[in-house]
Amino acid sequence: MSAADYPCKVHTSEGFLTLQLFGVLHNDNLKGYEDVFSQYTTQQAHIAINLEHAVSVSMGWWRWLLKVQTDLKALQKKMCLILVKPQMRNELKKEGLDTAFTICANIRDAQTEFGLIKNKMLDTDFINPFLDATLHVLKVQSQVDAVAGKIFIKNPATKGSGDISGVIGVVSETFNGCVVISFPEKTFLNIISKMLGESYQELTQDIIDGAGEITNMIFGQAKAVLNDKGYGIQMAIPTVISGKDHTIQSMSKGTVISVPFSSNVGGFFVEICISK
Amino acid sequence: MFDPKTRILVVDDMMTMRKLVSKVCKELGFTDITEAADGTIAWEALSNAPSPFGLIISDWNMPNCTGLDLLKRLRSDGRLAKTPFVLVTAEAEQHQVVEAMKAGVDQYIVKPFNQDDLKTKLEAVHKKYAA
Repeated sequence: MSAADYPCKVHTSEGFLTLQLFGVLHNDNLKGYEDVFSQYTTQQAHIAINLEHAVSVSMGWWRWLLKVQTDLKALQKKMCLILVKPQMRNELKKEGLDTAFTICANIRDAQTEFGLIKNKMLDTDFINPFLDATLHVLKVQSQVDAVAGKIFIKNPATKGSGDISGVIGVVSETFNGCVVISFPEKTFLNIISKMLGESYQELTQDIIDGAGEITNMIFGQAKAVLNDKGYGIQMAIPTVISGKDHTIQSMSKGTVISVPFSSNVGGFFVEICISK
Repeated sequence: MFDPKTRILVVDDMMTMRKLVSKVCKELGFTDITEAADGTIAWEALSNAPSPFGLIISDWNMPNCTGLDLLKRLRSDGRLAKTPFVLVTAEAEQHQVVEAMKAGVDQYIVKPFNQDDLKTKLEAVHKKYAA
């Protein structure tokens, strides 16, 4: 049997690993997984076990996970379970094992449990997927080469960073916020002109929703990466706000991380706000 | 590949995306393209079409009637059930792909995409229906 016979996605992040399990975890396939897992449980890293896509977990598996937790404790590392289904929680409770495990709602809570999040707003594990997605979306959809500049924390009371913004709410079990991409008018017109293969000289109703669509694509790409790691972010529909010095109401209740981008068609900003 | 005269229905609540998908279809040689701004309008267009549509390219995430709702409605309609259907979405998560497959989608394309990406998907759909 090889690792391919035991489906498991492994995500390596700074200071911890996320092991994502799939399907039915029964006693018959446990031994194979033990062999596959042994390479990860000795890496001197905290481990988050993502059970979002696990259909069921046998008692043998729970006992083995307890053993992994104990082994990690001996190495002064922690293990926690994330995205545990209610039915699994009930099984654990029935067996008196619910308090034996550290159960976190999602990976963000797990990182806090591991003591890895000191400043939530500067958590690169969360921010980087949005930056990567921005570069990818603009490259593929508009043939625009962009470069991220230096990240800074923006005062929420400050006016918007552009003339047109796509805004999308970030909703998960433990935090809310929003992601905004703000363009100066000229940059936006250049991007849309390249995207649609026609020259646009002014902001019209025909193209204004493009800011929302670009935001939607960036959000979708980043969400897939983050949810694979266990963030549990829900689907959302974007909105567009335009006008000189416009303000974004949903950004007024939290700290805002702003990332300036430069590109061959002009500059723009990606801003991420987490309000709780 | 599909005949360039194939009637295509492009469904998206975002005008920019409708323009983009239509533009890429035109670049691929298609000439008969109709646009609908959501699933409800698309259903009316499908129901009242004087000649049937040969391909639907629909966004997933739309208010009121989503692309998935439209697909399910289509697949349960005796007259329209066998219309090739491609879902376009910004969501790339495994459980969503599974949900779309269960509902009977023929192909699933994740935004952002370029001309080659759409061509590959359409070729696969055509092959499936030609078999």
